[in-house]
Parts: sequence; C-alpha cells; structure tokens
Amino acid sequence: MNAASLDEQELSTRFLDAMRSRVNADPHRVWRGRTLTTDCLVQIGSTAFLLRIERGRMRECLTEIPLLCPWTFAVRGTVRAWASLWQDPPPPGWHDLFALSKRGEMSFEGNLHPFMAHLQYIKDVLTLPRKATA
Amino acid sequence: MMTQGSIEPIVGRYVRTEVLGEACRIYFEEAGHGAPLVCLHTAGADSRQFRHLMCDAAITSHYRVIAFDLPWHGKSYPPAGWEKVEYKLTTQRYVETIRAFCAALDLDRPVVLGCSIGGRIVLQLAHAHGTEFRALIGIEAADYQQPWYDTAWLHRGDVHGGEVCAALISGLVAPPSPAEHRHETLWQYMQSGPGVFRGDLYFYRVDADLRGKLAGIDTARCPLYLLTGEYDFSCTPEDTLRTASGIDGAKVTVMQQLGHFPMSENPAQFRRYILPILDEIRLAKR
Repeated sequence: MNAASLDEQELSTRFLDAMRSRVNADPHRVWRGRTLTTDCLVQIGSTAFLLRIERGRMRECLTEIPLLCPWTFAVRGTVRAWASLWQDPPPPGWHDLFALSKRGEMSFEGNLHPFMAHLQYIKDVLTLPRKATA
Repeated sequence: MMTQGSIEPIVGRYVRTEVLGEACRIYFEEAGHGAPLVCLHTAGADSRQFRHLMCDAAITSHYRVIAFDLPWHGKSYPPAGWEKVEYKLTTQRYVETIRAFCAALDLDRPVVLGCSIGGRIVLQLAHAHGTEFRALIGIEAADYQQPWYDTAWLHRGDVHGGEVCAALISGLVAPPSPAEHRHETLWQYMQSGPGVFRGDLYFYRVDADLRGKLAGIDTARCPLYLLTGEYDFSCTPEDTLRTASGIDGAKVTVMQQLGHFPMSENPAQFRRYILPILDEIRLAKR
C-alpha cells in the first residue's frame, strides 16, 4: 500500500470496518480494556467518528455525530498521518501516535486521563487498520 | 542455541561503592573475557537489556561484557533514606556513578556503551573524562532532543506507572522488531519503580542539555561511535547527525529496522552494526 494512494474516504472506510468488526473479535483485547468506558472522537482529515467504548468493548462507531455531541477525548490526525500509520510496515517517524503528534500531524485533546491510563489499548485499537487481520 | 537445562554464561553479583558520599550496593552482570565493555541501560530500565550481548560468543570471546543497574533500578536498591526524597538523576550523579563503578571493579580504561540516557552520558564522558576510556559508544545518543510528552504522566496516583511508561515507549520500538523482544523490552518498563523513569528523564530533559557544551572531545585518543535506529523518534537520526557534526572524528551510523532499544528489541539486527565496531576498537593500536 502506498500512503499517497489512499484518500480520506478509503481510509475512513477501512477504519470503520476495523472498528466495527475487529475490536471485539479479540477477547484478550477486550479484557485489556475492561476498565475503559468512554466516548472518543477520532478524526481522519475532515471525517469524524465517535467511538463508544464500554468496558473494553466497541459498543458503536458513529459516523453521523449529533451536533454538540460531547466526547471525552479526541485523536485528530491528517490524512497523511493515518495513511502512513496504517502502512505495513509504517515508515520511520510515522509509525506511532506520538511520533505523529511530535511532527504536528496528530493531536490529542480533551480529558486525556482515560487516554493515558489506557494508552496501549487505545494505540492497539487505532492501529488495527494496519493489517488485514489481527 | 539454548536447550533444555542449558545455563547461560551470565553471572550476577553485587559491588559496594560510594557515590557522592552515599553508600551504594550495585548489582551487575557479566560474561566473557578480555577488554572490559561496560554497558549502560536506558532510562527506567535495567541491565537485562544487554542479555543478548552477554550471550554472544562473538563478543564475549574478546570482551568482558559488564552491565550494571543504576541505583534505584533493577536489583540495585536506592540509597538508604530514599523514601524521603524525590529521585532525580543529575549529570554529576550519573558520571560519578559510572566512574565509581569502574573504579570499584578496578577496570582499566574500559569501553563504555550506553543507550538513550546512557548515550547522552557517553557524550559527557567523552567531553570531560575521555582519557579514562578506551572507546565510547553512544546508542540513540544526542546532545539534545525535543520533548514529546509531559513526564508528569509517568508518576501519579491515578495512572498505573508501569502501564503508562511501557505504553509510551512502545512507539519507540521499531515495528519490524520481533514480538518476543518487543514485549520483553516493554516488560522492563512495566517493572520500574514508581517515579524512576521520570527521575531519569530529569537528567535527560532538564539537567543535561549538552548543546554547545561538548568542546574538546579528542576522538583520536578516545574514539567515539554514535549509532541511532531509524525508527527512534525520540532521539532521531537527525539529532544524532547534528550532534556528531560538532565533534571531529565522531563516527555515525543510522541503523535500519531498529528503534530506541536496539540491543533489546532486535538483538540479531543490532549485532550486524555493533560487531564491526567492537572489532575495530579491539584491533586498533592502543
């Protein structure tokens, strides 16, 4: 896969598929997230998703987000950031959420306590689109 | 290849020494015979990071490989009274710990190899104490690095320190590194004492900005090697190249397929880079 070849719509479709079909498919991942219940906004370029996570399970992944809908924390990245992160293997310096935030291609906003307290789980979930299966 | 019942050549012992007036009981492991090669672990970790070097006959047939746990790390307890102070590693304390350890073991001009904070202190050793060492090797070393998170997250009551430390540094392991070694590296961070990683980063971020302070390094007398993994976004290859550009004679290598913990995260890949350097040091005229 070439990062430049993926546009926002393709990335969004891929992300949605991964969130809806694969997060709950791994019982160990759900167990690792068992202390996390949160609403998390993820933004790919200009496309936003609301992840509703309940005790480590993906309860729903909304694409139509109600106006003024609250969320706990947000992870916003450029199209290039997500396209690079999901390459297998990803290019150096574009391979981790914090590598991307350091270079100004990603930001973390809102209440970051649940984000940091469950950081590996969140990293793993948001990296699921990297591989066809996980 | 280890088989059922085989015993590794690594031996662990404790040495007593004094650092800045404090009695320290320092745990160290070693293997091999020859010129001493002292290995310095990364922040918030311990000497287990070097277990692969100590089991590599291509190295231990020429070097006495020694790795110690800094006080507060691994099996080295903090000095008595630790419960009354906040741990903060300083440049002075780090340098004096290394020198005290080498003196306690009566090591004659050892080679020192340090990674991350160990790489930063190698630069300070080259600057201020180069005559005491046969050669210096900085892995993931630079005079300065741009911070990428607030270290306050590493030590607070409402976030598990081990979990957050490991999760943060997990991005510094190169994605191609083998899963077994990736997770062994993360486990070291999960086991660090509360506030220890953060205390080490006081040295890294606050006390040891070495930009403009590395004059006078004599690489003819004490060769300096700097090696950085391409996937290290904390100490980037650009950080190391910039640092080396100010040191005449420093030799730089950017390592492919490696991150911030080369010796621990992908030992097979790392040895491709470190073996030629150790051979060059060994075969150089003293």
